[in-house]
Amino acid sequence: MVDELIALLETFGYDVIRQGGLAEDESYKDTFFTFWNNNEEGQSFYDNETASATYDFDINVYSTDPDKAYTLLDNARNLLKQNGWTIITRAYDVASDEITHIGRGMRITYLKNFN
Amino acid sequence: MARNTLKLELSGFEELVTKLEGLDGDVKKTVTEALARAGETIGKDTIAAVQKPNLPAKGKYSQGETEKAITQNPDVIWSGVQAEIGVGFDYSKPGAGGFLITGTPRMAPDKTLKKMYTTKSYMSKIQSEMADTVQKAIKNKMGG
Repeated sequence: MVDELIALLETFGYDVIRQGGLAEDESYKDTFFTFWNNNEEGQSFYDNETASATYDFDINVYSTDPDKAYTLLDNARNLLKQNGWTIITRAYDVASDEITHIGRGMRITYLKNFN
Repeated sequence: MARNTLKLELSGFEELVTKLEGLDGDVKKTVTEALARAGETIGKDTIAAVQKPNLPAKGKYSQGETEKAITQNPDVIWSGVQAEIGVGFDYSKPGAGGFLITGTPRMAPDKTLKKMYTTKSYMSKIQSEMADTVQKAIKNKMGG
């Protein structure tokens, strides 16, 4: 599901990277997404195989423009909902390494059936 | 005062509390004790998690004040029949390590803290310990 998630977020035209994936000497882009896969948990099983699983992610937006950070997260939330994702936590502040950027995050899940 | 409040709900062991009430037990005192012990456990586990060797990049991105910002031995606050305690980082203090839970673009989230504060498995363990406290009170009341 991570590929599908990245593809959706990339439609907004900003970089999408894994949380913690930026090197220490690598500069922040003005606006970008990060994601973190909290877990993938089997929900149902049949004949010793996983029949369905929940994918749990954090999605964060970092931006030099506070309005953009809030709006982009809202837009991402709406797009993800339209594509079957469940919003567990709508939004919260997340820390930024750089004083020039603010961060906003949300937590989402996706229930996937394998049959 | 900003504080990361993780409400410890009484759901999951109302049956035990009801049983204690039926035995004329001091429910408020027992629940307060159960929550206080839970808060102590969470405080100790959080302190262990923020020791530098346990953190991403061996604690390079944490500060010495992170441990001081952890809520320890929180007060139990009653609102009618509901009780709650504040746990985790006190964001009114410098060095509060919320970033350790969410990560930053240059630092992955700390897995232990994430598991404690965002998943059900850790809190299930805490709930189980709270239920044990109430069970013990029932047993004492029954003369066991």
